[in-house]
This record gives sequence, structure tokens and C-alpha cells, in this order.
Amino acid sequence: MSLEAMDFTPGMGQKGTLGRLLRYMLPYRKKVLASLVILLLATATDVFQPILIKIFIDGYLIPRHFPQKAMILLGGGYMLLVLLTAGFNVAQLLLFQVLALDIIQNLRVELFDKVQTLSLAFFDRTPVGVLVSRLTNDTEAILQMFMTVLSTFVQNITVLVGILIAMFALDARLAAYCLVLMPVTALIMMLYRKVTSPVFHMARQRLSLLNAKLNESLQGMSVIQAMRQEERLRGEFGAINNDYRRVRFRNMQLNALLLRPLMDGIYLLALMLILWYFGERSFSHLVNIGVLYAFVTYLSRFFEPVNSMLQRLNFFQQAMVSSERVFQILDNPDTAPQQEGTDHPAIHEGRVCFEDVSFSYDGRTDVLKHISFTAMPGQTVAIVGHTGSGKSSTVNLLMRFYPVERGRITIDGTDLRYFSDHELRRKIGLVLQDPFLFVGDVTSNIRLGNTFVSDSEVAGAARFVQADGFIEALDQGYHAPIGERGATLSTGQRQLVSFARTMAMNPAILVLDEATASVDTETEDAIQRALEKMRHGRTTIAIAHRLSTIQDADLILVLHHGEIVEQGTHQQLLAHEGLYYNMFLLQQGSTGLGAN
Amino acid sequence: MRVFSDLMWFFQEHRKRYLGGIALLIVVAVIALIPPKVVGIVVNELAHRTLTSTRLFYALLAIFLSAVISYGIRYLWRILLYGGSIQLATDLRTRLYQHFTLMSPQFYHQKRIGDLMAHSTNDVQAIQETAGDGVLTLVDSITTGTVVIATMAATISWKLTLIALVPMPLMAYAVSRYGKMLHQRFSLAQAAFSDINDRVQEYVSGIRVVRAFGQEEWERKNFVALSRDVVDKNVSVARIDSLFDPTISVIVGVSYFLSIAFGADFIVHHQMNIGQLTTFTLYLGELIWPMLAFGFLFNIVERGGASYDRVQTLLNITPEVQDRPGASATVPSGDIHYDISVFQYPSGDRPALHDIHLDIRQGETLGIVGRTGSGKTTLMRLLLREFDVSGGDILIGGQSIYRVTLKALRQCLAYAPQDDFLFSATIAENIAFARPTATLPEIQRVARMANIADDIGKFPDGYQTLIGERGTTLSGGQKQRISIARALLQDAEILLLDDTLSAVDGRTESNILAALRQNRAGRTTLIATHRLRTVEHADQIIVLEDGTIAEWGTHESLWALGGRYREMYQRQQLENLVEKGGDRA
Repeated sequence: MSLEAMDFTPGMGQKGTLGRLLRYMLPYRKKVLASLVILLLATATDVFQPILIKIFIDGYLIPRHFPQKAMILLGGGYMLLVLLTAGFNVAQLLLFQVLALDIIQNLRVELFDKVQTLSLAFFDRTPVGVLVSRLTNDTEAILQMFMTVLSTFVQNITVLVGILIAMFALDARLAAYCLVLMPVTALIMMLYRKVTSPVFHMARQRLSLLNAKLNESLQGMSVIQAMRQEERLRGEFGAINNDYRRVRFRNMQLNALLLRPLMDGIYLLALMLILWYFGERSFSHLVNIGVLYAFVTYLSRFFEPVNSMLQRLNFFQQAMVSSERVFQILDNPDTAPQQEGTDHPAIHEGRVCFEDVSFSYDGRTDVLKHISFTAMPGQTVAIVGHTGSGKSSTVNLLMRFYPVERGRITIDGTDLRYFSDHELRRKIGLVLQDPFLFVGDVTSNIRLGNTFVSDSEVAGAARFVQADGFIEALDQGYHAPIGERGATLSTGQRQLVSFARTMAMNPAILVLDEATASVDTETEDAIQRALEKMRHGRTTIAIAHRLSTIQDADLILVLHHGEIVEQGTHQQLLAHEGLYYNMFLLQQGSTGLGAN
Repeated sequence: MRVFSDLMWFFQEHRKRYLGGIALLIVVAVIALIPPKVVGIVVNELAHRTLTSTRLFYALLAIFLSAVISYGIRYLWRILLYGGSIQLATDLRTRLYQHFTLMSPQFYHQKRIGDLMAHSTNDVQAIQETAGDGVLTLVDSITTGTVVIATMAATISWKLTLIALVPMPLMAYAVSRYGKMLHQRFSLAQAAFSDINDRVQEYVSGIRVVRAFGQEEWERKNFVALSRDVVDKNVSVARIDSLFDPTISVIVGVSYFLSIAFGADFIVHHQMNIGQLTTFTLYLGELIWPMLAFGFLFNIVERGGASYDRVQTLLNITPEVQDRPGASATVPSGDIHYDISVFQYPSGDRPALHDIHLDIRQGETLGIVGRTGSGKTTLMRLLLREFDVSGGDILIGGQSIYRVTLKALRQCLAYAPQDDFLFSATIAENIAFARPTATLPEIQRVARMANIADDIGKFPDGYQTLIGERGTTLSGGQKQRISIARALLQDAEILLLDDTLSAVDGRTESNILAALRQNRAGRTTLIATHRLRTVEHADQIIVLEDGTIAEWGTHESLWALGGRYREMYQRQQLENLVEKGGDRA
């Protein structure tokens, strides 16, 4: 599946997505409630401040009457409100942000757990980058949405409502006039969303086009230069760049038309409304300057929340796209084969038996056809064949990476399906073609997460495969750091470490996917000696590229296009003078010259 | 602030835009003084009961006019200043791209594409913010700040102004201090995020090991811990972040408190009136933003400066390979003569080629064989001038390739590289890459020569089929043949096929080779290959080993020699046999 296909989201619809996202808040409903209460307190103490000033102006300043006690109460009260507001706000801002982070932590772990159950086929067709991006970047975008919804929208709406309530308490009629502001701002929000969301979308699309063009040009620069197309590509990039500039400009223009400048304008219009109201009333009634002062203050605070909500609308959109992608993985039914039944069969002897196994990855072409063989306890069965003959698929089935759908595989007479993952992984040791090492040190790469393996067992395993020599020669020995993909070690050394990793588990069955990579003769000898020791006393299924290494196998299977075309011991197969014989000749012939 | 002087070339280039924007900012700062003033006047008249409906009308009209005018001006300066910053970003991207097209492969060896992308996106974005928000905050905080403070002091009360401003420096301090702490903690959070990114990347890449060793629980534990770390680091960001606004509001609250308290005292002592106090507090509100902005400014400018330095460093790298002075623009033609005593890649630790002395007559086909790393590709890359030879020379028609322009040289060469890179475009566009004006019949002709025409015919959209990441996936062999067709369309005198037939089956290969012989009579072809059959009919064959010519001759003479060539040839015959299933027949 390509990256684009992963981006495609068949419509669950935004409402469903948002609802599903919000359900992640449910386990935290108590905390949400507590934060909301604190938010309400903060809002209350906040909107109460101008009322104190109003009381001061109307009750004391205009009549020029300043009793000391009242002044201290008012002044102290005001400062107390200021401090309380700040305190409550610190608390609620922090609570909401931590809440959002905790929710995302849960979502991330849930997603990771889901990924762990997905089949290897899923990993095969999903580019690494895409999957990493789902787990990290997309969840990060959803975090933004929780921060936006919780921190911005809930808070700002509460503040708006608080301001309106205070206005009603001061002067219900004027407050009723001011209610007009609500539909006006709502209308502007809708209008803004309507006109900018296509532009915003277009800008994102242009940007990804621009990045794609740049990325492709950088990758294909040698072709571009060899074909003298620099000029043309510059033109093409220039056109895309210009296109992006135009959309960005349009976006900025709309922001300038509909955001701050417009809100500032509306603020002034509302100010006119207030002045007109008080002016008109003053011709017939006595007016309270303090109330006017309070209204003017509330009005100037009214638009900050509106502005910040407007600016977050687009993040929201982006988060929805990300959540749909994340949910797509959470809903993916393509899971890896799991244990069937509730028994806990154990592997003791290690008798492996393939019974008429056929297999296909895509449901159309069979990569394995009617494979049957038995490896008796302690025996070595080698599988040889050219690239694509089905050798690796045999291993994939035996490791239960893919489900066996036709035929069956048994270990010690029990169907592979009935074993627990734990039993299979502990008792079957796989040595992979690509000895993948993790960032860490030598010990952590041998032990992996098996905390039951002691340091001396790690060293023992290394000694067993004769990796101890080079490990001890390293600067920090068993604690020598290992870089990305084991870059600090040579290919042969990586092989030996991965051998030690397998031997530390002391498996009953050994599955060897022999490496094709060539290493120097000395290391090669070490590897061969190690392999020989490892095989001793264990049932071994070995995929061999070098026929020289499996001459002593108890049974050699020659695979060709998914079928066993020849089988027997080395001597029998040579006498047969068939495919094996030819392959043997080929490898005997020229060892010095490597035609790929 | 240095970044502003670094960007001066741009500001000068667009001085009308910037001067206009700054002038408008000043005008709008002055107009913004009107409404509070009007409110103050109305409040006074209300207090003294002197307001008439005519005066009220004029007051409202004044506010209305300043609303309309400042809306217009605020819109305009945004267009000017932000428009400028968008233009700057566009220009920088264009420059970077142009620069990239001049860089030789050496540059691409040293730089990671991901980094180059990051410079062209994130860094350019940060510079754009500096030229937009940075300039705005600088100018706005200075103009609004000065204008408002001056007005407060001059028209209302300088004493009250001083008193009200006492807490303000604390605000600028708090903003820049929090800003710094936020930045530090945010970097830590980013680092934690990138840790988890790396870890997940490793987990997904090593999924087979994880599964085979049953390490799911362990990986989960790691993931949860790292993810927890991301949360913790973000919580520490949130701790500062949630202090930010409340701190500001306390400082602002204190400032208001001082204004009202002392203002009341001044009113009682008839040093000012209630309307002035109202105006004063409204002005104070207008000061908050410039003070905040001044704090932010340092962070914007710091980031922009660092980004600008990175972009400049990149732009200052001179291309390794360029036209030499006095290079001729005449397209070279004729025999090729390699005369290389030694060539070593700049990053290599041993010579990639040495003692290559070779003549290829015009119209000949040269076969180059040898194992991976023996120097086959290097031989071609040197001819293309992807790298320059210091120890030796290469001549075409007696003319050194260093004495003609890159453009002229590459015009006589058509190259089908090993990694058959195709672009995300239609098949027709890919084939016509070197000559976009080519007609469909021309494209079809070369497609037939490259034996890809039938495959293309089978696609529903034919030549218009999209390929690449967003389109149809092609097989390796199909890609190679399109890459060959692309090279053939160049109709160049010298064709370089760098192992471009490796994924093509034997019969198709001989069809292509036959078509080449037929259509390229009198023109030179260099074929590097692993498969010896490909060059069996070449006029001369060289066997490269460790960067030099080990054997040289025709197929017959090399066979007769009984050396490595013969050994490889026999081995490949046997290999074919195995591929076919071992039937000797």
C-alpha cells in the first residue's frame, strides 16, 4: 500500500471521529470536572474585578467620599481577586494541559498495543515512515486538538459567558443589546471557516507538492544534471513555489480581512453602541459612570477569546485528519496469528513436521506448494534453492509469522496453532539473515528484554558462539555502545552477536536463515564453527546459501518455485546429478570471482 | 537583532513595501489614540451632564471613522509586511533550489536529503517569521509604545503614567525569561519526541527480531517509558506555559490598580478628571500588547538568526564541478580517450581508478565488466563530469572534456544510470525528460527500441500512465527499459548504459541490443554490466578489477586468454542453468 493510499480515508465523517476522540476523556471525567470547576472559579474572580472598580467609581469616587475601611476592603479585595484569578488560572491551565497529555499517552499506548498485534504482512506493505508517523506525529496532532478543545475553546467560551453574565448583572438592557455580538462573532467564525478552510487546505496541499518536488529533485539530481534539465526543473519548481506563494498570500489576505483588523473594527462599533446607549439615557436618566467603565472594560476583553478561537480552527481540522488515520490503524483487522485453544502444550523434543503445506501471500500465486517433511529431534534439515524459491516463506510459517491455511505444521505432534506465543518464542530460536541490532550496548543486544538472562549467561552465550574474543577486545567490552543498526560492528561481528542472542535463550529448535553477505575468511570460519556448535543437539531448520555449510545435514530439501524437487543427503543428491548437483558445481567452481 | 541587518538586502530591495508598512503602522498607532480619547470626553460630559445629542453624534462619528480607517490601514500594512515576508520565503526557496541544481554528487554524498529539506522548509519558515512578525513586533512595540506613552504623559498626567508603568518592565522581563525557559524545556520535549520517533523507527524496522524473540512486552515497556518521558517533558513545558498568562494578568492588574488608586487621588485633588482616568485606563490596555510583543521579539529573532545562518552556509558552498574559465560551448564529438593515472573519490580512502588508458573509436561499442566496486560506474561518472579527475584527462575528439562547458559535454552524452531513477510523472513525460518537446511518435519510437512499448500498451492509460509514488508501480525491468528509452531520446553521440539491463530477461535484452546496433550505427556506446552475454558482441571489452584494467580484448580473444573473463562466463552459464531448474537440456 502506498503512502497516498494510507492517506486516503473513506468517510467516517468528522462528527464520528470527534465523538470517538472525546470518548478518550471518559476515564478522566473526575479530573475534567475538577478542572472545569477551577476554570469557573477563575472566570468568576476574573469578571468580578471590573465590578469592584464600578463600585469604587460610582459609590466613592463620584461622591468624593473615601471611608478608609471601605477603601482597604475594595483595594484589598481587588488585589485578592487579581491574585486568585491568576492562581486559579495557573491551576486550570496546567490541569487541562496535563489531562490532554495523559489522554494522548493512553491513545499512544493503545495504538502501540494494536500495532503489536498486527500481522507481519501489514508491516511488509506499510512503509516504515508511515507507521512511525502514525504513532508519533499523528498522535501529536491529536494532542494539539485536545489542547485546543480543552484549553482554548472551553476556556474562552467560559470567559465569554462569564463576561455576558457580568454585563447582565450590571445593566440587563445594555447587556441584551450586547448579545448581538454573539451571533455576529459566530457568523464571522463560520464565514472565516468557510472561506479559509479551502484556502488552508490548498496551502497544505501546495506545500506538500512543493516538498515532493524538492525531495524528488534532490533524489534525482544526477539524472537532471546528466540530461541538462536544471533550467527546466528550476522553472517547474519556480512555478510551484509561486503557486504556493499565491495561496499563502491569499490565506494571509483572508486572515487580515477577517481576523484581528475586523475584530478591532467590531470592538469599536460595539464601543459606539455603549456610548450611544449611555449618551441617549443621560438625556432622560441619571447614568452610572462606573457601569459605563465596567462595560468598556468587559468589551475590550470580549474579543481576545474570540481571536484566539478563530486562530485555532485550522489546527482542529488537521487533528481530525490525523485522528482518522490513527483510527484506521486501530480498526485494522489484519492481525497476526494468535494461539488457538486454551491448553498450554510445551515443546520438549523438537520434532518439526510439515504436512502438505501450501501457502500464498496474496491469495493468488502459491509460493509454497505441498511441502512435507519431518525433522526428527536433533536433526538438521537444510533447505536450498535459488532466490524466490520459497525458502524464507517456510521459515515465516514455522515461526507463525503468517497463518498456515492449507496443510499443517506440527511440533512434537501438536499443531503449531495451539502453542502460546511465549512457548514458541522461547523454544524456537531464529537467526535472521539480516542480523538486526538495536541501539544500546553489546549486552543489551544479546539479552534483549529477557531480564532472566544474567550477565554471566550473556557472556556464556557469547563464549559459546566464540564472539567473546572480539567483544572483549572492544573498548568497553560487553558494554561497548552499539549505534544505529549496529553500524559500529562489522557484518561478521553483527552475525556473531545475533547468534549469541539466540543462544542466550537456549532454544530447543534452531531456525537459521543464513546470511548471503560475504565476510572475510577468518570471520566466516568463526561463524561456521559457531553454527556447528549451535546446531549440536538441536533440531535445526537451516536455509543455506552456501552448500558447503550443510553437507553434513541429515536431510537436504531442494526447493524450486515453491516445490520440493529433490531431497536426500548430500551424497544422494550429488549422485542424482540434478539441480543440487549443478548448484554445487557452481559454488565449487569459482569462489574468487563474484558475479552477483 | 543582527538578523535584521543580515536581511537588509531584502528590505532595501522592497523598501517601498517596508517603508509604507512602517508608515501605516505609525498612522494606525496614532488613530488608535482617538477612541479612548473620545470615550474620556463623553464620560466627562456625562459626569458634568453637559452632553448634547449633537456632541454625542460627533463623538460616535469620530469612533466610527477611526474604526473604518484603521480597519483599512490594518489590512493594508499586513498585506505589505506579511506579503513581503512571504515573498522573502519564496525567494529563498528559489535560491536554494537553484543552488541545489548546481551542486555536484559530492555535495549530495555529504548532506542528507532530509537535512536539505529541513533547511528549505523549517529554516525558511523561521526566516519568514522574522521578516514578518519580527519586523511587525519591533516596529509596533516601538511606535505604539512611544506614541501611547507620550500621549498619556502629555495629555493626561505624566505622574500617573510613570506610576502605571512601574510594573511594566517586570512584564517584559517575565516574558523574555519565561520565553527562554519555555524554549529550553521545549527543546528537551522535542528531543524526547525525537527519541521516541527513533525508537519506533527502530522497532518497526526490527519487527522480525521483536516477534521472533517474543520481545513484545519488553518493547511495550520501552515505548510506554519513552512516551511517558515525552509527557513528563511536556508537562514541564506546561508548567511554565500555564504561568505565562496569569503572570501577565497579575502585572497588568497591579498596573490598573495603581492607575485607579492614584488616579482617584489626582481627581480628588483636581489634577485630572474622571474622563481622563477612563481614557488613561483604555490607553493602558493598548500598551499591554507592545510590552508582550517586545518579550516575544527576542525569541523570534533568535530563531530567525540561527536559521538564516544555516541557509547562508548552505548557499555559500561552491559547486565542486563547474565550467572552467574559457570553456568552449561547442559540443564535442569523436573518439574517446581515457588517460587516467589515478582517481580517488574525495571521501574515499583508496583510489577508485588507476592507470586507465583506453581508446574508444567513434561508433564503437565498449563493454565494461567486473565485479561490484571494481570501478565500472566511476568510469562513466568521470566522463559525465560528476567528479573531476585531477590525475589525468579524458578527451573526446581530441578535446579535453574540461575545456568545454558542462552543458556542451553533457549534450553529447546520454546516460542510463544504474539506479534507474524515474520521476513522479507520466511515462511519456519520463521518456521525454531530456527533451520535453518530443512528439508522441518520437517517444513511441524510442520506447520500441527499448522494448518497453508493448508493456506500455498494456497499461490502461498507455503513455499517460502516472508512475512513481503516486502512480502505477513498475517492475525493475520496466523501469530500466524506460530509463533506456529516456536516454535514447536524447539522440546523443555517446550512449552510456550503466548496468541498465540487469533486471531485463535474456531475450528482451538481445532485442534491445539488436535495436541499438541497428539504430546507433556510427555512434559510440559504453555498456557496463555484470552479465557477460550483454557485451559478447562489443567491439572491445575491458575487465576491471580493483580500479584498473585487468583484461582487455574482444569476446573471442578474452575467451582464448582463459583468464577471469572466461571463468566468469562459464560460471554465469551454469547459473542460468540453475535458474531454469537444472535441466541440462
